[in-house]
Amino acid sequence: MKVRTELINFADGITLDSGDRLEKFELMIETYGELNESGSNAILLCHAFSGNHHAAGKNKESEIGWWDEIVGPNKAIDTDKYYVVCCNNLGGCGGSSGPTTINPSSEKPYGKNFPQISVKDWVNSQKMLMDKIGVPYWHLVAGGSLGGMQALEWAISYPNDIKKAGIFAAASNSSTQNIALNEVARESIRKDQNFHDGDYLEHNVIPKSGLKTARMLGHITYLSEELMDSRFGRRFQDEDSKVDQEVDFEVENYLQYKGEKFSESFDANSYILMTKAMDGYVAGQDIGLRDAMKNVKSQLLIVGFYSDWLYPPERGKEIQMAAMDNNINSSYIVLEGAHGHDSFLFSSEEYSKVISKFIES
Amino acid sequence: MAIKLSKIINNWVPDDSKVIDFGCGDGSLLKELMDTKKVLGYGVEINDTKIQKCIAKGVPVIKQDIDLGINEFESSNFDLSIMARSIQCLKNPANALKGMLKLSKRCVVTLPNLGYWRCRLNILSGEMPVTPELPSSWYETENIHLCTIKDFEKLCVDENIKIKDKVFLNKKGDQSTFVSIKPNLLAVEGVYLLEK
Repeated sequence: MKVRTELINFADGITLDSGDRLEKFELMIETYGELNESGSNAILLCHAFSGNHHAAGKNKESEIGWWDEIVGPNKAIDTDKYYVVCCNNLGGCGGSSGPTTINPSSEKPYGKNFPQISVKDWVNSQKMLMDKIGVPYWHLVAGGSLGGMQALEWAISYPNDIKKAGIFAAASNSSTQNIALNEVARESIRKDQNFHDGDYLEHNVIPKSGLKTARMLGHITYLSEELMDSRFGRRFQDEDSKVDQEVDFEVENYLQYKGEKFSESFDANSYILMTKAMDGYVAGQDIGLRDAMKNVKSQLLIVGFYSDWLYPPERGKEIQMAAMDNNINSSYIVLEGAHGHDSFLFSSEEYSKVISKFIES
Repeated sequence: MAIKLSKIINNWVPDDSKVIDFGCGDGSLLKELMDTKKVLGYGVEINDTKIQKCIAKGVPVIKQDIDLGINEFESSNFDLSIMARSIQCLKNPANALKGMLKLSKRCVVTLPNLGYWRCRLNILSGEMPVTPELPSSWYETENIHLCTIKDFEKLCVDENIKIKDKVFLNKKGDQSTFVSIKPNLLAVEGVYLLEK
């Protein structure tokens, strides 16, 4: 499968949900497959909070995309049939404009001064992207977790530009517990002595230890208790493969390794911005979910996973209920999911079949 | 089967109405009603393979154990709820009936008739009935609350549920005047339109 990466420039900028303006911005995108003549086969993938535009296949660094089990030739989202687009979200650190981008007015990186972005802003910028790359409408907009929130917001904000929305392991807003967990992660970043109130780039350092702790906490929330038990149990880590001499158990080693890797690649201000966007999202902010969904025209597929305690299936069901109240063609499926919240990333026979049948129906 | 049943139910479903089908199986009954009556239909089903078939047909479906709740669909203002050949599988059929009539003014219930003469013969010979309509042996069957036509109509009286219309089917699944002479003995299946 050919993986094409492109940086798209928006010279006219964007007015954000908050009223702030970005005078210009760029989105890093990846595309797979070919847009057909009638433009009826375009699919937009929305990434979760720490994801990026690299959704499928191998990139130049030989890294596998975050949704490679679902997206590719002959997979649930079939790149032989569909033109699939994924962008790094505005405010991220995968190549799109974000806190590490140079601020044209100060000629220094934006850092903590990059304006707060909302889920709506992402959807608005993705709509600008759609127009720019000549896609007439999306046959499907899909994503998991924070990506599912974007798919839902697409259905609400641009009812005429989307035929189907796939909302996986998601909710119409973050729960109190979601916000609480995110705040612990942010606190660990902010209290890192290298954070410098968000100006760490000017000091030529990064708050690595804070980012690492944040990610370790995150990983615990993405997995289920059962999966952790079966994958690591109470086994001790081999002496030879310990990432740190302090480590005793395999699960500690795993979290240390994952946290370390993440802290080398993710930007701390982006972390704060992305989690704030997630915490702040409420579908139908002023009018409530039910009324917000009044104008939805697309078909919805809502999938939850029993093993997901971060965005448990009942949260998806709330969306289904609001959809039914509004006479929307919407289905709600719950699958076992072996991976907790992360289950949306992995293929299973049921999950892949449900997605592909929804796309084709 | 779904097509025959949809022809009966067709007469009871106004065009463009909003219908929920509990235990919708592969969605073929709803698909029929969606195509012929332009209904907006939702299916409720627990089996993943059947759910996939619904989705492939474009029939909206919700994965749920009907035993665990019907009430939560009350806000959706359904015109009609359907429970075809499922009520005998529920832990509490009477509650399910009442629940259906809370979320929609009318409901359609179909049930296999344990009073059918073949079933009676089985029982007379000292065995639990195994017929084409009730194919599983007693230890495998999901039918934990089988009843006769007579039993069911008595429940409706006891629960103050009005029987607005009823149709009795022979072993081919067809509506039959012969069967209607003595449905409790001759009918394989009863199809009821109920109202509060």
